[in-house]
This record gives sequence, structure tokens and C-alpha cells, in this order.
Amino acid sequence: MKRGWFILIFPLVSVIAISLMVQRRSTDAADAKTALPRATTAVVKDKNARELSIPDTTLAINSPTPMSQRVVHYEIDAHYDATKHTIDATEVLTYHNLTGQALGHFPFHLYQNAFQPKATWVREAKLIGNRDTTYDKWDAKEYGSEEIKSFEVVGQGDLTNAVHYIAPDDGNKDDKTVVDVQLPKPIAPNAYVQFKIVFHDQMPETQARSGWKRDFVLGGQWFPKVGVWWHGAWNCHQYHATTEFFADFGVYDVKLTVPENEVVGASGVRVSSANNPDGTATYTYHGDDIHDFAWTASPRFKVKDATYQGQMGPVDMHIMMQPAHWSQVDRHEKILRETLEHFEKWYGPYPYKTITLVDPEPGSAAGGMEYPTFITGDTTWWMPKGLFEPEVVVEHEFGHQYWYGMVATNEFEDAWMDEGINSYTELKILDSILGQDTSIMHEAGVMMGEPELQRIEYIAAPTYDPISEFAYKYYDFNSYGGITYGKTASVLFTVEHMIGEDTMQRAMHIYFMKYRFTHPTKGDFLNTIEEVSGRSDLKQYFDQAIDGTQVLDYEVSRVDSFPVNWYEDQKTTKKDDPNTVYQDTVWLHRKGDFMLPVVVEISFTDGSKVRENWDGKDRWTKFTYEKKAKVESAEIDPDHLIFIDRDNFDRSRRAEPDLKAGLKVSNYWMFVTQWASQALVWWGV
Amino acid sequence: MQTRSDNPKGKNLLARGLSMVGHNKRYVIWFFLMNLTLGFFGTAAFSNQAHAVLNTSLYSGRLLHGFHLAALIELFMRPEFGPMQAATMSGFFFIFVFFLATALFLPGVFQGFESTYRLPREDFFRACGRNLWRFVRLLIISGIVFGIVVGLLFWAQGALIKKAGESTNELLPFEIQMTTLAIIFLIMCTLRIWFDLAEADTVLSDQKAVRKSIGAAWRHTFKGFGRLLGSYLVTTIVAAAILVAGLWSWMKLVAPESIIGAFIVSQFTLLLLLIPRFWQRGVAVAYWQQAMVAPVVAVEPAVATATPATETTLAAVTPGVSPVIPSREMPST
Repeated sequence: MKRGWFILIFPLVSVIAISLMVQRRSTDAADAKTALPRATTAVVKDKNARELSIPDTTLAINSPTPMSQRVVHYEIDAHYDATKHTIDATEVLTYHNLTGQALGHFPFHLYQNAFQPKATWVREAKLIGNRDTTYDKWDAKEYGSEEIKSFEVVGQGDLTNAVHYIAPDDGNKDDKTVVDVQLPKPIAPNAYVQFKIVFHDQMPETQARSGWKRDFVLGGQWFPKVGVWWHGAWNCHQYHATTEFFADFGVYDVKLTVPENEVVGASGVRVSSANNPDGTATYTYHGDDIHDFAWTASPRFKVKDATYQGQMGPVDMHIMMQPAHWSQVDRHEKILRETLEHFEKWYGPYPYKTITLVDPEPGSAAGGMEYPTFITGDTTWWMPKGLFEPEVVVEHEFGHQYWYGMVATNEFEDAWMDEGINSYTELKILDSILGQDTSIMHEAGVMMGEPELQRIEYIAAPTYDPISEFAYKYYDFNSYGGITYGKTASVLFTVEHMIGEDTMQRAMHIYFMKYRFTHPTKGDFLNTIEEVSGRSDLKQYFDQAIDGTQVLDYEVSRVDSFPVNWYEDQKTTKKDDPNTVYQDTVWLHRKGDFMLPVVVEISFTDGSKVRENWDGKDRWTKFTYEKKAKVESAEIDPDHLIFIDRDNFDRSRRAEPDLKAGLKVSNYWMFVTQWASQALVWWGV
Repeated sequence: MQTRSDNPKGKNLLARGLSMVGHNKRYVIWFFLMNLTLGFFGTAAFSNQAHAVLNTSLYSGRLLHGFHLAALIELFMRPEFGPMQAATMSGFFFIFVFFLATALFLPGVFQGFESTYRLPREDFFRACGRNLWRFVRLLIISGIVFGIVVGLLFWAQGALIKKAGESTNELLPFEIQMTTLAIIFLIMCTLRIWFDLAEADTVLSDQKAVRKSIGAAWRHTFKGFGRLLGSYLVTTIVAAAILVAGLWSWMKLVAPESIIGAFIVSQFTLLLLLIPRFWQRGVAVAYWQQAMVAPVVAVEPAVATATPATETTLAAVTPGVSPVIPSREMPST
């Protein structure tokens, strides 16, 4: 009996004792050398009394278990003042130290502080250009700020005064986009720490896909966000004119209080909504396995809800359109649905329960942006059916759910791994849906395809930066755009032609499945392609294409044919004698520094064709034949597999010039010139 | 001798203006040939560059067998085709040369329109030379007026559109833009009528003081505003229809590979596009004949014998009839 009591009481006392120890260690981690593994994952209402943890909820995903290693849990209660465009909020951030070492300080992003005249973002935008504004003159509406009102570390007290700005990238003392907080007591490995932050945002008139426009608001990068411990150090870059974001996966519980006439959309799933007595309404959202949270509100959104049956379960599609664009809602739904289908079929399942597509306010800088389970499109009321801008934008931004949302690369340092890889899958999917050569536009006889667009972006500024350059170190915005998007897509499209479409698709699928919900690097991606294709020789190509600024530029510099018996009396030789033997020579020239083996096809006047291989290591080479036919033409890359050649026009050469194309283009230009002169005369004299 | 002003053929400005163009088709042909020649010279450098790139390339087939935008963009992205480069700048210079040439030869056109007979070449060029500096002054004044008025109008339009941009109605800025463009167009038409009448008056009245022609034209612009503006609007609509029909024919009826077909359709469109502007000048001359002839005090002839001076007087006392300039040489017929 006594033994029976002992058996009953001892475990009970032990559990209580261990619990008390864990509680103490988690709040007084300075003395802790080790911490116990996390136990429960339930969210306890009394936070001060609970054991800290990250919830293992699956409310927002079609998966019975969490899909990512959850590092953060954000609980935000935000009130938006639609008149002043301000946000007042409290943020409770629970951080799980999975770094394997004690953390004594924590950096946080305050992105909204980028929109200030002396901030690095604005200075860079003015200096090297930007997608949205070049700041010819400063407008007070462009001002944004993110101010921490109070900063408490649970168990360590109020550290508001310890919060200080840092500028790790450029030392700009006026840049306030990153703060750092030194904790009195470091956080032990595997321990949790909880921050309670009160902050106030002044949202700017939309810039960089965040802010307000008229009565519309897009809440992007709007709350203090902790940096990422990556490769043994904190990775928390300042906000630059050419950079995007980087964050850890986790759980988001966000309450948004807005005027009750607003139509609201956000990342994750909506779990509740309630009208308040003061004329506001509060919407609560929950997100699982995401690394950011964005929301939008406008009193004029028209919403269409639809369902896509995904591989892991149903996906609710919320399509929020401007009233003037309502006629295009089906067009948006169609491309979103088809894009989802292609991504699931080719790369892997979409695990989230929702995707929200926002058609942002016209004239705002909010179009074409991605946040987890939340994207913005871009269209106008007059968009022609044959101009596929809405399709391109929706496809691209949805693609970021994979290349950024789940495969969460560092956008500050490896922008090409989200924008570039996404541009590659964009051209694949849009070509599949809208047709090759017509996936950008097919209107009034004018056509253009995605691959050509990506290549043109690249060749506009091909020499300044390598693909692997940090996003904020690019020469200028054109170089950033051309290399990060265009060159990467063209390089990968060329790789696809080198290893085969099926192999490339398999490599992309394996890369996605292996690295989803992680932060992979360049090596992870390139190694996957090399391993799947079994082509170790790709390394030489990647060295030049990804890490180098070499330009690939091959030309057929000359073709020549002359009779072998040219020295004989011309009068005795019949012109065009079919028995005349010619020495035919074709010269190839590598104008750029990029070396790549190429194929050349030589066509002769008797209809025969010859294909030759050239390793491209020398600056030039020539191929010579003796035939009873002249060279008619020569073409490098006759199957059009290389998409990174700087000049498509000189990759082929005819022996006999054909004037037609030149005359046609000249006629266009002459018509324009004549018409312009008549128009000037019409009004001028 | 008789001038068209002796027989105004009714009051319809449009019909009379078109009749003048019809009787002087050679002017349209000359100006077209001048436009074509200058256009050819202006685009010669561009054409040479285009041929140098395209003639030997197989890739140029994408431009020949359709309108492949990417190939065209790639062509224009080449350094030699930059907008400020020699190949394209020469085109802009020749646009300006055509403008100056038109200003130089326009007095002869007015003289020819006013004449009921085929104006001899030497008279045409005499009118051009006689009015050269008058037209230079007119051009400068009209340039200043157009510059100020149009500048103010577009500034106001920009401000209105910016204000409309604050509206939540996405279509409002577009509607404002279209409405204001229509208003600006009407005002520019009015200015064009004013200076077309001034040009006509300067030439046909042999007015050395162009300010007097400008003043008279200003008054008459509003005196005959409805008729004049209506006529100018009709001719502008005709021009727009010609342009649309020409481009449509080019796109739909001409095979992409047909160089000759494209050249013929494009040049025929440009030829037809010249007619509405000449028509407008015909309207200006017709109006001048009807309403702007300078009144000359009638002098009773002392004797009944006809002299050149008497001719002038007789013409001048007849309402709606323009005076015959004594110094003008007439054909022997």
C-alpha cells in the first residue's frame, strides 16, 4: 500500500518539480547552460504563467502536422486609422532559439522607416533608380515610419532604452530600418524568449508595395520583424531600394481592427470577425508555416471566392477586385487556377488552405507583390484581351508562393533564387498556358513570348553584375532587374535545353520538395540540378553564368565559296556549272568571354546541310569543305536552345544578302518620319 | 480676266475649299514628293544600318514573316539605333526641314488657290519669295501664341488629371483627359483657323504688315466661327479616317512579306493625309474671298475706258470680290 502511494506520489512530485525548474529556466536563461526540449505546444491564455512555446497548429494548412521548423510566433493586435493612415499595435513575439548557441542580442527590421529622406532606401532609389519612384522631389505623403513605443523582454524587463539603430550594410547613421537590442541575459540554446513590443506606424502613400492610396491600404512589412540567425550570425540587412526580405517560418495570429466599412483580406485564414461599438470591426487571421504577414483593406473591393482542389486539400481562392475591373475577375481566377495546377503538377503541392489575390488601387505602387498566401496583381480597366499583363503578374506573384514563400531563400543576398528562378518557372508556365511566342502579347498581329522578354531584359544591361551578387550591391536598378530576373530565367532556360525538359522539371521538383520550408543557398540549387541531371560539366557553365559577368556572344563572321579551279581561264568556265567544285568556308567567332560548346548548321545550295560542333574555347574557328555546291547559310545554335546570346542577329549569316527585312523595317521608319513631319506641319504652319 | 473671287460658287466653305484642292492637285503631289524625298533622305542612315544588320541574318526572318516584337526591340536596342544616334537623328532633322519647306512654299499655294487659272510657276515662286519674311514673322508669332496657349492648356490639363487622380473613380482621370484633350483640340483648331486666315490675308492682300492680317484674321475667326470651325472639324475627321483606313489596310490587306505592297499602301496613305490640310487652307482662302477682302473706296470712273486701275476699282466695289493686284502678271490667255 505504502509502496503504492509512493509509486503514485513520486512521479507527481517529480513532474511538478521539473515543471517549476523549466519555468524558471525559461525566464531566467542567463544561468542556464542547457534547456529542456520544448514540451507542450498549446497556447495558454495566461502567458505570464505558461511555458513558452510555438503553437503546432495546422488550421491554415492542409497538413495534419506542421510543415516547417517553426522559430517564431507573432501575436499582433493592430488598429488601423484610415484617416491618418497610421497603425497602433502591440506585438508579442515568441522566439525559439534553435541556433545551437546562446543569443545575447536580437536585431529587428523596421521596414517602414525606409521611406524617409535620409534613409538608405530613398537615397539608393534616388541614386540608382527604382521601380516605383525616383524621388525627383520629396512629397510629404511619401513619408513612412515605424516607431517602437515600448520594448519588453518577458522576464528581463523593459528594454525600450536599450533599443538602438544599427546600419550593418552601409553605416548610414540616418537609416532606421534595423534596430538591435542587447539582452541582459542571453537566451540559451533551445530556449524560448518572448518580446512584447508596442509600435506605431505611419504608412506612406504606397511605395515598394506597401502603404495607402486614396482609401486603399496594403499592410506590407508593417511590424517589427526579427532577423534570421543564418550561417552562424544574425542576418538582418537594412532595407535597400533593390532588396526584399528574409525571415524565419512560424505562426502568425493577427487581429486587425479597421473601420467597419472596409473589406479586408490578409495572409492565412480568417478565424473570426466582429463589429465593435465604435464603428470599427476586428478581423482575426491565423497563419501556419509562413514567414510574413500582409493585409489589405478598401471599402470598395468586390470579392469573388472560389475553390481549387489541390493535391493536399481544398484551397480557397479569394479574389479581391477593384470595381472598375470586375469584368476581369474571371480572367484573374482562370490564370490563378491554371497556375496552381501547373505548379502542383510540375513542382509540388501547395499546402496552404488559402490564396488571396488582390487587385490593388489603380495608380498605386502596390501592384505585383508577393506575401505568404497573399499576392497583388496589376491591371487596368482598359486591358486588351491579347495583352497578358494581368496573367503575367498573377502567375509571377503566385510563383513566389513556391520560390520565396516555401523555398525561403535570402532575398537580400540571393535575389536571383526567388525572382530569377520564379521568372524561369513563369516563362515555362505561361508558355504552356498562353502559347510559345504569344505568352506576353498577341494583339493586332503583334506577338511576343516570355522567353524573349526575359532575354531582352538581360541583354539591356548584361555586363555590370553577376547573378550571384547581393541584391543591394548591383550597379543600378536596370542591372538588378535585367540580371536577377532576365538573366537567371534565360540561364535556366538554356540549362533546360542542355539537360532536357523532363530532367530539368524533375530537378526543380526535387529542389522544391527537398528545400521547402528551409532557407537554401546557391549551392543547394545548383547541386540539385547537377545531381539530377548527372552533368558535372554544368559547373563550368554555372561558374560563368551565375558567378561571372562574361557575356555569351557568338557570330558567324564570314561565309565564303569560290571555285577550286578559280585560276583557270574564266571564259572556259561556265557560270553556275553544276560540276564546279567550290571551296566552302565558314568562320565562327566568339566575341564574348563566355565559353560554351555550340553547334553550327551549314546549308549548301544543293540543299544539303552539315552540323558541326565547336567547343568555343578558341576565339574563332573555321570549317572548310570542298563540294559541288556553295555555302548558302550558316547558323549557330540552329535549334535555338541558347537563350543567353547577346546578339541573335549575328548568330547566322547568309551568303547572299536578302534585302526584304531591311526594306520592311526601313519602310516602317520612313512612314513614321513622314507622318511625324506632316503632323508637325498640320499644327505648325 | 477673271478670278475665282468673281464667281464664289455659293457659300459652302468646305465645297469651295475642296474645289480649290481639286483644281490644284499638283500642289498636293509636289508636297507629297517633297515629303517622300525628305523622308527618304532622313531615313537613309537608318536604312543603311538596318540593312547592315538584317540582310545577312537568318533571324531577320522573324521581322519579315510577321511583326515579331522581340526581334524589333532587339534591333532597336542595338547601340546604332539609339534615339539620339545619327541613324535616327537625321530623321528628326528632316522633319524640321519639311516644316521649313512647307512654310517657304505655302504662299504660292495660297496664291494658286485664289487664282481661277493655272498659276504659272514663276508666279508661284514669286509669291513665295515675296512673302518669305512675312511668313517667318507669322511663324514666330504663331509659335509664341501656340506655345503659350497650348502650354497653359496642358498645364491645366495635368493639374485637373492630378486632381481627378485623387478620386476613387478609376475612370475619372481618363474621362477628364479625353474631355480636356477635346477642348484643347478645339482651341488649337481655333488658333489654327486664326493663323490660316492671317496667312491667307497676308498673301492675298499683299499685306506687308502682318500684324494687320493677324488682327483681321482674329476678328474674322470669331465672326465666322461656326462655319470655319465646323469645316476644320470635318477635315480633321477625314484625316483621322484616312489614317485609320490606311493602317487597317496595311495590317489586314498587305501580306507581311510584301515590301512593295507595304510601300504603296503606306505612301498612298501619306499622300491622302496631305489633302485634308490643303483642304483647310482652301477653306481659309474661300472664307477670305467671301468675307475678308479689304474694302476699297469706290471711285467713279471719269471715263468709261477700261484700264488696269479701273479693274481694280470694279472688283473692289463688288461685295465678296477680291481686288486684283495690279502688279500681278497674268497669263497671256
